[in-house]
Amino acid sequence: MEQADILALPRPKWKAEYLEDTSLRRLVLEHYDREHVPLLRYLALLGVDRETSRELVQESFLKLHEHLLNGGDRSNLRAWLYRVAHNLARNTQSAFRSSKTESLTGSEGAREPVSEAVSAEEELLAEERVKCFREAMNQLSLAQRECLTLRAQGFKYREIAEVLNLSVSTVGENVARALERLKDLL
Amino acid sequence: MTKSDHLPNDSLLRAIDDELAGTEVVLVESHLQRCEECRRSYQELSHASARIESVLAAVPIEHYPEERERLAEELERCQTKTNLQGSEKVLRRFGWGMAIAATLAIGVLLLPGRHARIPNTTGVSEARSSAALQVDGETFIPLPYSNPELPVSASHIVEMRISASSLADAGIVFEPISNTASEQDSSVLADVLLGMDGQPLGVHVLRQ
Repeated sequence: MEQADILALPRPKWKAEYLEDTSLRRLVLEHYDREHVPLLRYLALLGVDRETSRELVQESFLKLHEHLLNGGDRSNLRAWLYRVAHNLARNTQSAFRSSKTESLTGSEGAREPVSEAVSAEEELLAEERVKCFREAMNQLSLAQRECLTLRAQGFKYREIAEVLNLSVSTVGENVARALERLKDLL
Repeated sequence: MTKSDHLPNDSLLRAIDDELAGTEVVLVESHLQRCEECRRSYQELSHASARIESVLAAVPIEHYPEERERLAEELERCQTKTNLQGSEKVLRRFGWGMAIAATLAIGVLLLPGRHARIPNTTGVSEARSSAALQVDGETFIPLPYSNPELPVSASHIVEMRISASSLADAGIVFEPISNTASEQDSSVLADVLLGMDGQPLGVHVLRQ
């Protein structure tokens, strides 16, 4: 065997897999940067408490990494992520215990950066609106709240149906009913 | 659809959300052109939708910057675990094959007379000595064809006899290693470090 033959043994494939692993981690972190706040918002609107939401979001992204490592479908990773977070929340006994949106109060800890141009008066107004909104959201069924929140995150009805394991027509009905109720309350 | 048959809210909402099926689009649009009441309902729903979305987007959410770091660390840990599991699988399946391949590869590479094809061996060996591989408390001198990009964490060590003169011809210098081999000996016992691909990465001479 010549030295050239020895060097030609299947080394590149292993190297390619190693690089692929690195890029998968990068991909997961890119999704995290984009989606972790909307995911936290989604879970909060479902009534999941802050600490549980924090853990569920971490777990969802670890599952995303595992999914990618196993060569899972990448066609709609965003919807996949929400479906996993949703199912994890459902499986967490405490998550849907209250089924209300108390976790929207959020007055402690770090918050999303708020524009400096927002005045104290505007901030109070915003808080008041959130309070009203929380009360209004509590009038909705869990399915209506889920559909409405996912719609607000920019998902199409087909994707919402996929996340929540519902039919597209049921999603349409839930969104319409939720909106009808909220438009009178807000 | 007549003017008296007003559009239901879910149709109006699907029109707002661009969720109407192909045939529905024409029906709803033509009805909206004719029916003022449905146009008003459409506007009302559209405003309500925008208002709700703006309130949803303004809901303050606590987020934790340190969580990203935690995730990155966790991903790295998962990766290392997966790689080790993969290496173990490879070693379990191909361990013997790798050892045989390595023996053949070293034997052929170190055949007397091959050294003529290795240019500037002294210089290479000095450079290699500084990049010695440390595995399981042993120091290995990298072989001429070692791939420095291969991680040594997924390695395998095989003990074998190698012609000392051939090793010397290949430019491997043993001074820093224990049990220095004399040039007169026909062979030495050495640990050979194998990489993930079954090829030898380095040698550690044990004794004559």
